[in-house]
Amino acid sequence: MFWHNYKYALKALLKNRMLVFWTMIFPFALAMMFHLAFSRLHDYDVFEPFNVAVVNDEAYKNEKVFSEAFKTLGEGDNKLFNIEYVNKERAEELLENGDVDGYVYVSDGKKIVKIKENGTNQTVLTMTTEQVAQSAKMIDDIAMTEMAKSAGQQVDVEAIYRDAVKTVTGAEPNLKDESHVMNIVSVEFYSLIAMACMQGAMLSCEMMNRCMPNISNRGKRVAIAPTRKGIIVASNLLAGYTMLFTAVIALIFFTRIVLGVEYGDNIPSICLLAAVGGLAATMLGMFLSVILKTRESAKNIIIVIVTMVGSLFAGMFGVTKMFFDELAPLVNKVSPVGLITDGFYSLYYYEDATRFIVNVVSLIVVSALLFAFSIRSLRRQRYDSI
Amino acid sequence: MIVSKAFWKIVLKNIGSIILPTVILLMFGTISVTSVDSTAQYEARKPALVIFNHDENVGLTKNFIEYLEENATIKTGYEDDDRLKDALFYEEVTAVIEIPENFHQDMALGHDPEVKMRSSAGYVAELAKVAVRRYLSVAKGYSALHLSEQELVAKVDKAIANGVKTEMKAAVDTSKYAKASRYYSFANYTILSCFITIICLIMSAFNREQVRKRNLVGAIDIKKMNRILLRNCCIYVLAAWVFYVVISVFVLGVEVVFTAQGALYAVNSLVFAACATTIAYLISIFALSAGAVNGLQNVLALGTSFLCGAFVPAEYLPDSVLAFAHVLPSYYYIDANDKIMKIQQFDAATMVPILLEIAVVAGFCVLFVALANIISKKRQRIA
Repeated sequence: MFWHNYKYALKALLKNRMLVFWTMIFPFALAMMFHLAFSRLHDYDVFEPFNVAVVNDEAYKNEKVFSEAFKTLGEGDNKLFNIEYVNKERAEELLENGDVDGYVYVSDGKKIVKIKENGTNQTVLTMTTEQVAQSAKMIDDIAMTEMAKSAGQQVDVEAIYRDAVKTVTGAEPNLKDESHVMNIVSVEFYSLIAMACMQGAMLSCEMMNRCMPNISNRGKRVAIAPTRKGIIVASNLLAGYTMLFTAVIALIFFTRIVLGVEYGDNIPSICLLAAVGGLAATMLGMFLSVILKTRESAKNIIIVIVTMVGSLFAGMFGVTKMFFDELAPLVNKVSPVGLITDGFYSLYYYEDATRFIVNVVSLIVVSALLFAFSIRSLRRQRYDSI
Repeated sequence: MIVSKAFWKIVLKNIGSIILPTVILLMFGTISVTSVDSTAQYEARKPALVIFNHDENVGLTKNFIEYLEENATIKTGYEDDDRLKDALFYEEVTAVIEIPENFHQDMALGHDPEVKMRSSAGYVAELAKVAVRRYLSVAKGYSALHLSEQELVAKVDKAIANGVKTEMKAAVDTSKYAKASRYYSFANYTILSCFITIICLIMSAFNREQVRKRNLVGAIDIKKMNRILLRNCCIYVLAAWVFYVVISVFVLGVEVVFTAQGALYAVNSLVFAACATTIAYLISIFALSAGAVNGLQNVLALGTSFLCGAFVPAEYLPDSVLAFAHVLPSYYYIDANDKIMKIQQFDAATMVPILLEIAVVAGFCVLFVALANIISKKRQRIA
C-alpha cells in the first residue's frame, strides 16, 4: 500500500505545474541569473592597465630618476598604466572627459597627482607614484651617503648611483604570502541551493494538506479511508522528498558542471548535505502545515516568508551572512537555510570537517524536533463535525 | 462601490506580497548603504588590517605599526581563527599581518626577518600588499647603510613622508547621493514585485472568463467598472510610491530626500512605478492563476534586478548582460539613478541624459499599453 500510494503521490506532484515550476525550473533560472550577474564580480579583481597622463614639461624632465622610473611603469607585458605624455591643458581635458583616471605633474620639485574622483585606480596611481618618488629619494639618499663616506677622494658618481639603484631595486622584502584566496560569489550559489532545498517545505506542506481533513476534501476522504494514516502521510512525504532531492542534486550538478561553481571535491558530503537539508525543509513544511490552522494559500505565503527571510540572513540578497551572524547569532544556527549555506561554505573553505559536521548534525536535530512536534499535533485527531 | 470594495478586499488578502518586498527594501536600505566613499577630497581606499605583533612595540616595529595605522583601518577582536577566516572570506578584513619576534632588531642589523601575510581576494588586498611591501622595501633598502635603529627609523620616516600631493578635481561631495542611488535602484525589485502581484491578481480576477461574462450582463456598465478599477489601481500605485518615498526619508535622511536630486529620484521612481503598472496591466490580460502570477512576478522582478544592476552595481556586470539589459525599462531607471548621483551642477549637459532616460521609461509605458490594447482586442474577437 505504501509504494502504491507513493507512486500516485509522485504522479500528482509532477502534474502540479506550479510546484514543478518552483522546485524544478525557478532555481535553475535563478542560478542562470546569478551566473550572469556575478560572473564579473570575482574577475573584476584581475588587474588591467588603465589610462594616465603625464605632463611632460621641463620640471618633469628635470626629475631624471623619477621620470625614468615612471616611464618603466608603462612598458612591457606587466605594465600598470597606459601613459600619454601631454601638456597640462591637454591633461586637464583628458581628465575632464574621463579619458584618463588621473595625471601626474611636477611643480617646484613636488610630485602631484590630479584625479577627478575617488576610486581604486586613483588609489593605485597615487600609491605607485608615491612608491616611485620614494625609490628616487632613496637612491639619492644612498648615493649621497656613499659619496659623503668618500669625501676628499675622487669618486665615480655614475657607479655610485648604479650601486644605489641596485640596492633599492634589490630590496625585495621577505614577505611570506599565506593567502588562501577563495571566490566569494560561491556563497551566493550556496544560499541558492539552500533556498532550493527549502522548496521542500512547500512540497511537504502540499502533501500534508492532502491528508488533513480540515484543509481539503481529499483530506476528508483520506481520513475515512481504511488505510493507516501513518502510511499515507509517510508515502506522501517521501514522494515530495524524492522530487525535491532529485531537483536539488540536478541543480548542484548544473551549477557545478555548467556554471563552474566550486563546491570542493567531496561529492558524497555535498550529496549528504543536500539530503539532510532537503529533510529539514520537508519537516519544516510538515510542521507548518500541521500547526497553522489556516488556508492553503496562507500557509504557502508563510513558507515563502520563512524561506525568504532565511535566505536574506544566509546572505542571498547582497548583505553578507557574516553581518547577520554578528547581528543575530542564533538565527543562522537554527535556520535550515543558514545551516545549509554554512555547510556548503565550510566544505569549500575549511580543510577541517568539524564545522561541516556541526551543520549536518544541527540540521538533523532541527528535522527531528520539527518531526516530533508535528507528530505530536497530528496524533489522535478526531472530528465530531467538519 | 462594489467594485472598489472587491478591489481593496483582494489587496488586503494579498498583503503579505506587499509586506515582504517592502521589508527587504527597508532592510537593504538601512543595512547596505553604510559605507560610501566621499568624493570631495582624495581618500585612498583603506584596507582593513588585523595585526598580530609577536615583537616588542618599540623602535622600528612601533614605527611599522604606526605606518600601518595611518594607511589602513586596524581591526581588533579576531583572536578566534574561525572568525578571522570568515572575515577574510567575506572581505571584512583585507589582510592579516604577522610581525615576527625580534623584528626591529633583525631589521636594524640588516637581517631579513620574515613577515607573514594572509589576505582576502580582491583589489584592496593587493593595495594592502603594496603598502606593506613599500614600508619593508624602504626599511630594507636603508638597512644596507648599516645605520643605528634610531637613524633607520628617521630615514624610513623621511622617505615615507616624501609623499605625493593629490589634488581633487571634483568639488562636490556626492557620497550622500550614492546611498539614495542604491536605495532607489533596489526599489526596482520592490516596485515590480508589489505592483505586478497585486494589480495582476486583481485584474486577473476581473478578467476571468466566468467573472467577465457575469459582469457583462451585470448592472454596472463595463466601461464604468474599468474606470473604477483604473482609478483604484492609480490610488494603490500612488499610495505605495508615496510610502516608499516616505520610507526613504527615514533611511536616507531629510538632507538627501528634500533636495533637487532627491526630487529627481522621486520623479524617476514615479515614472518607473507607472511603467510597472503598465507591465502588470499587460500581464493581467492573460487572466493567469494566482500561482502563475506569483511565478511570473518573481522571474520578472528578480530577473530585471539581477540583469540591470539593482542588486549588483552595473559596473560589475558583463558587457553582454548590459547590452541585453538595454531592452528592459529597469536598465534606464537604474542608469538614471546612477546619473542623478553624479550631478554636480544642474545644467543641460547633466540634465538632458537623465530626462532622456526617464522619457525612455515613459516610452515603455506607452509601448506596454499599446501592446495590451492590441492583445486585448484580439482576445475579445476570439471570445
